[in-house]
Amino acid sequence: MSPFAQYRHALWLLASRDLKKRYSTSALGYVWSILDPLLMAGIYFFVFSVIFGRGNIGETPYIVFLLTALLPWTWFNGAISDATRAFEFEAKLIRSTKIPRTIWVSSLVLSKGVEFLASIPVLIVFAIFTGATVNWHVVFWIPAILLQALLTFALGLIVAPLVVFLRDLHRAVKLILRVLFYASPIVYGVTDMPAGLHFWAAFNPLNGIFSLYRAAFFPQQLEWFSVLMAVVMSVAFLGIGLLVFKRAEAAVLKEI
Amino acid sequence: MEPVIEVTDVGIRFKRNRQSRRNFKDLFAGKNRRTLSGEFWALRNVSFSVMPGEAIGVVGRNGQGKSTLLKLVAEVMLPDEGSVGVHQGVAPLIEITGGFVPELTVRDNVYLTAGLHGMKRKEVDARFDEIVGFAEIDKFLDTPYKHLSSGMKVRIAFSVVTQLEEPIILVDEVLAVGDKGFREKCYARIEELLAGGRTLFFVSHNEKDLQRFCTRGLYLDKGELKLDAGITEVLARYNADYAPKV
Repeated sequence: MSPFAQYRHALWLLASRDLKKRYSTSALGYVWSILDPLLMAGIYFFVFSVIFGRGNIGETPYIVFLLTALLPWTWFNGAISDATRAFEFEAKLIRSTKIPRTIWVSSLVLSKGVEFLASIPVLIVFAIFTGATVNWHVVFWIPAILLQALLTFALGLIVAPLVVFLRDLHRAVKLILRVLFYASPIVYGVTDMPAGLHFWAAFNPLNGIFSLYRAAFFPQQLEWFSVLMAVVMSVAFLGIGLLVFKRAEAAVLKEI
Repeated sequence: MEPVIEVTDVGIRFKRNRQSRRNFKDLFAGKNRRTLSGEFWALRNVSFSVMPGEAIGVVGRNGQGKSTLLKLVAEVMLPDEGSVGVHQGVAPLIEITGGFVPELTVRDNVYLTAGLHGMKRKEVDARFDEIVGFAEIDKFLDTPYKHLSSGMKVRIAFSVVTQLEEPIILVDEVLAVGDKGFREKCYARIEELLAGGRTLFFVSHNEKDLQRFCTRGLYLDKGELKLDAGITEVLARYNADYAPKV
């Protein structure tokens, strides 16, 4: 096998291993993976829509609006959180196989990505029940998924090796993820940012990515500037990620 | 013939206190705290090359860099100086049970581990019976790996890695495990592979094993390659240096 084919083969093996492991040990398997975003969607719906009465923030139906960003967020959040533990959990395998080490990040992105794809039916069910209508922008889900995979991989490449040296970093990452949740257009829309912050918000690549996902139901949420920035930022992060990973690799292998 | 392994001026250093991992706050703690206590060279200026079909035994006391050298050749560790060139595929018998997932069945684990070491699904299909036959665990194929006895765990792991079609085999003292009968079977398997023209790189403390498999020896002492010669000569020198005091 060529190195590329070998990498791809190992990628599938590891991702399916992770999924099998998850589903072989729990009776509710699939339910668990959608329960988290579903519960959160329920909570945010109650708090922001029922209690606060969200006014003209976000779009109607609000539950569909929430899920279009919450489901991809669950993917992002899960993959980055797991990346902080990747080298720790896989240490034995890393010490005995010489597959390019980026696979410990990319397989996480893939397995969490498959779970994300598997959770899409939930969104469809809610869309049908609330009467939300899909438009042709739904084709943007494909670039959105690719872009999110790229971004998550890039950030994973930065986080995973650094955690090996800086134990505390995994706590910092948890905090950053929590901040990022509210700093990204999930409970609100890209267009709801105050004018002064609007420009700066676009530097958060999740802005553009969620804007692409949401366009399928809410075309007014599509903001090309944010999308363009998301591409630029993701590619920049990939560059930084590859550099950090390459420089830290030898030291990580000694440390684990 | 071209060498299959080329190790050139290799050096690798470790922190003396390996547990002292840095904390996030240390990054901001000023320059003095950032330069941590001494590092040492586990290996330095090590050069040798291995021709196809050679059987090499690595000799030395504990902590003289034997396993580190093996890991460098397996390319699961990267040198700080020099270069390691491995020009053919490697079947590493290092931490062989490491890739096995406790929750998955033996069958799943065989496909997973063989696959991670580069075997295609079809190749595993073709060898599957031989793999489980060698390990003598055909009755436990659908048992979760964690329910196997520790002997069985090692047996199936050894069986998978030695079925890889790779021309270079690395062995790191794994043969010390398992019962006597199975150990003999492992030895026979390694001899069979050697007879088939594989290259062997072997780390062991057991003189009998070294004599049995290896033709050439590398004697490591204090991170240096002290002697690279026939295995008998290397063992004689090692014994002269560290003769048990009566």
